[in-house]
Amino acid sequence: MERKPIAKSKRRRAKVTRKLRSRPPRRISNRHPDGIERLVEASAQVLGIPLERGWTQGVAFNLRLIFRHAKLVDEFPLADDIEPAPVFYA
Amino acid sequence: MLNASPPDDLAWSTAGHLAAEVTAGRLKALEIVEVTLAGIRARDPLLNSFTAVTEQRAREHARALDEARASGKPLGPLAGVPFAVKNLFDIAGLPTIAGSKINREKEPARRDAALIERLEHAGAVLVGALNMGEYAYDFTGENIHDGPSRNPHDFKRMTGGSSGGSGGAVAGGLVPLALGSDTNGSIRVPSSCCGIFGLKPTYGRLSRARSFPFVASLDHVGPMARSVEDLALAYDAMQGFDPDDPACVNRTAQPVAPLLRRGAAGLRIAVAGGYFKPRGQEALQAIERVAVALGVDRDIDIPQAERARSAAFLITASEGASLHLDRLRSRARDYDPAVRDRLIAGAMAPASLVVKAHKFRRWYREEVLKLFADVDAILAPATPCAAPLIGQQTFMLGDQELPVRANLGIYTQPISFIGLPVVAVPIPLSPLPIAVQIVAAPWREDIALRLAYTLEADGIAAAPRPTIDSDL
Repeated sequence: MERKPIAKSKRRRAKVTRKLRSRPPRRISNRHPDGIERLVEASAQVLGIPLERGWTQGVAFNLRLIFRHAKLVDEFPLADDIEPAPVFYA
Repeated sequence: MLNASPPDDLAWSTAGHLAAEVTAGRLKALEIVEVTLAGIRARDPLLNSFTAVTEQRAREHARALDEARASGKPLGPLAGVPFAVKNLFDIAGLPTIAGSKINREKEPARRDAALIERLEHAGAVLVGALNMGEYAYDFTGENIHDGPSRNPHDFKRMTGGSSGGSGGAVAGGLVPLALGSDTNGSIRVPSSCCGIFGLKPTYGRLSRARSFPFVASLDHVGPMARSVEDLALAYDAMQGFDPDDPACVNRTAQPVAPLLRRGAAGLRIAVAGGYFKPRGQEALQAIERVAVALGVDRDIDIPQAERARSAAFLITASEGASLHLDRLRSRARDYDPAVRDRLIAGAMAPASLVVKAHKFRRWYREEVLKLFADVDAILAPATPCAAPLIGQQTFMLGDQELPVRANLGIYTQPISFIGLPVVAVPIPLSPLPIAVQIVAAPWREDIALRLAYTLEADGIAAAPRPTIDSDL
């Protein structure tokens, strides 16, 4: 069976995909801080936490803070064989 | 002076002194209890330290001690010493409220917390439960349901939290000894703000059985007092394995009270630099005084301390939220809004990053433990500033304005994150005290307490008696 010639747009899509795959993985970014409110509302719905009117901003403020701290943790390179202790002992 | 009350100097005696007097028969345990209860009635309306006073129980226990002595039975090392506990410790017959509104509906506890049992076994007398930040998610000592704990050195100021009532009650002369809990700094922060001694032992050393949890992998419990010897007496009485706490390590008790007078000779000490270098004048002055007194002339870098604080922040948010998830679904309106918003946000933290924080903890612990090959103790500030005003939202750290609630523990979090033992020693600066942390290797509480004792004996560290007018 004769293969159809690949459309130009498909070739472009494949090129973009290859380019994306070759990039280093994206870290957490604060580039879209407004997205946090949407994340808060969606997460609250999934978790079954009733979010009353006026709470979103306070939760979003704290979630941004969490992500800011998480970014610092996320940036730190850890070897694959470092495992969390199942029960922490000093 | 803070003396809008009848109690005499008994209220300011140390636990060790009171126990010696009771044991020698010069004082009755019941006399001490009556003076203590009178002091609580007179002063606690100013301090707001207590949420429950166990008068009847205290009197019964004191009478039993006096009868035991009269019949020649041996008394414990804390005979007749009044103490109180943060209200997250179970007290038989009372609901364990943990600073919350929701827990007030709980059934009364059937049995005392393990540490209350151990202190009472040593002769100490429980006189009540103490105010705290809601569910221990707090560094301020403020509580929306019970009102703020007030700092005995200035009633307009915070006690620090979350063991705020414990700090206020001890510093204000209501009890010589209190128990607190410390997840990220909740013993050390109020010790600093109120100017008292606090011990956060090694993670796994003291039993947390029958206390209301917050963050299982970070929760510690420990004593707060106005003298190092009192810390040591209480700590020794509470040591020992307890299978009821899954994190409690099966180690032989290592009494420290007999070791206190060994002094600082031969101990290698360094000041934590980098992240811990104080940017506030009070913290800087306190650290310098301690370093000079101990002859310390070297700095040491605790690697990745800022990241450790962030990892502790992340784990706290996530584990705390997990503990409260069901209540957040059904009773979110009954939380302090500031605590509620933090907990709901914590429930949304991605698990992949929380696990990474736990992995980082293992890396960090290994790196910090290497430091103890070269030093026996590390000095670090306990809080970035002396006690802020109640209701104060931000404070200046150098040229940076930071929120109070989240940042009073910036210097305590990287230490408790890996469970190291710490003694907070109060430096009586004027007008407000502030504490320094003495950090030791795991299981070496003796070293931190020896150094604290040396500083106290030399007059560098002291729990100052409040000297302000009671003008609310």
